Amino acid sequence: MELARMKKVEVVIDNTHLRLVLEILESSGVSGYTIIRDVIGKGDRGTVLADEPSESFKNSYIFTICDEERAKSITSRIAPVIRRFGGACFLSDVEWLMH
Amino acid sequence: MHIDLILQNILNPPVLMFFLGIFAALVKSDLEIPQSLSKLFSLYLLIAIGLHGGYELANSGISIYIIKVLTMASLMAVVVPIYAFFILKIRLDTYNAVAIAASYGSISAVTFITAASFLSSIGLGYSGYMVAAMTLMESPAIIIGLLLLSLFARRADSGIRWGEVFRESFFNSSVILLVGTLLIGTLTGEKGWKSIEPLFGGLFKGMLTFFLLDMGLIAGKRLGDIKKVGAFLLGFGIALPVLNAILGIFLARIANFNMSDAFLFSILCASASYIAVPAAMRMSVPEANPSLYLTLSLAVTFPFNIAIGIPLYYSLASLLWN
Repeated sequence: MELARMKKVEVVIDNTHLRLVLEILESSGVSGYTIIRDVIGKGDRGTVLADEPSESFKNSYIFTICDEERAKSITSRIAPVIRRFGGACFLSDVEWLMH
Repeated sequence: MHIDLILQNILNPPVLMFFLGIFAALVKSDLEIPQSLSKLFSLYLLIAIGLHGGYELANSGISIYIIKVLTMASLMAVVVPIYAFFILKIRLDTYNAVAIAASYGSISAVTFITAASFLSSIGLGYSGYMVAAMTLMESPAIIIGLLLLSLFARRADSGIRWGEVFRESFFNSSVILLVGTLLIGTLTGEKGWKSIEPLFGGLFKGMLTFFLLDMGLIAGKRLGDIKKVGAFLLGFGIALPVLNAILGIFLARIANFNMSDAFLFSILCASASYIAVPAAMRMSVPEANPSLYLTLSLAVTFPFNIAIGIPLYYSLASLLWN
C-alpha cells in the first residue's frame, strides 16, 4: 500500500459563490474535487440552515487534494473571496492512498 | 375593513397552514418538509400560475388596457425602490438601504398567488396579464438598487460583476419559468390548458397549502431575528407595503383598471422579494446584512401581507370602486 503526502483544501461557501471557488480550483489545475451541497452550521455571520427559499443563503462544502504549492496558490486566491462574501477555508496535511 | 373579509381570508386552509408552520417553528417541533419537495411545490406554483395566465392571455388578447397595466407595473417597479431607498437612508447606511429598497421594489410571487387564491374564494377570477405584470416587476429593482449603490456608496472599486448580476436578475429560475410558461400557455390556448388542468388547476390549492406550511416554518425560524431589525425597520416593514398598496390602488383608479386587477396590482406593489433580490444583493452588496433585508421581507412583510394585507388592500380597492 503506497501513501503520498498531500494537502487537503476545504472550503465552505454560499451556493452563489460556489462557482467562483470552482473556477479557482479548475484554473489551478487540480485533478478533481468533491462538493456536498446544502450543508448547515454556524459561523461568524450567523446560523446557516438548508431550508431558505433562496439558494444564496445555503452553503456548500468543497474539498480537493493536491500538492503543497498548488494548495498555497488556491488558498491565496480564495482568501479575498471569503474576506468579501464570508465562508471558511482550511488547509491540512493528508496521506493519499495511491491507486 | 370588514371583519368578515379578514376571517374569510384567514379561515382558508392555505393561510391557516402558514400559521401552523409558524407555530410549529416557534415551539421547536420536528415538523419539516423535505427540501426537494419544497422545491417541487414552488416550481409547481410558478408553472401553474404561468400556464393559467398564458391561457387567460390567449383568451383576452393584447389590448391598450393591458399595455396600460404593464406600463404601470414597470413604472412602480422603478419608482418604489427609489423612494424606499431615501426613506431608509434616514437611519441606515447606503449598503443596507440599497438591499432593503431593492427587496421592496421587487415582488413576492407567493403573496400574489395567495391573493389570487383569495380572489377565487370570493368568486372573482384574475386576468392572465397580471402574471405578465408580476414577471415585469421582478427584476428592475435589482438594477435600480445597484445604480443607487454606484451613486451613493464610496467604494474604491464598485465590485459589481454586472454580467453575473444581469444573469441573476433576468434569467433566475422564477423569471425563466414565468416567462416560459406564460408563452407556452398563450401559444397552446384553451386546448393546451384543458389537457393539463387536472394537475395544474385541480391540485393548485392543495399544493399552495403545502407550500405555505413550508413558508410558515421558514418564517417562524426567522421570527427570532426580528429583535435584531429594530423598531424603525419593523415599522418600515409594515408601513411601506401599506403605502405602496395605497399608491398602487390610486394609480390603478386613475388608469381605470378593473377592481380585481387593481387589487392584484396593489399586492404586487406591497410585496417584497425574499428570493431573487436577496440572491442578487448577496452577490453585489455583501456589506449589507442579510438578517436585516431577508428577515424584514420574509418574517415581517410576508406574514403581514398574507394575514392582514390581502383583506386590507381588497377593502381599500372596494371603497374606490364601489
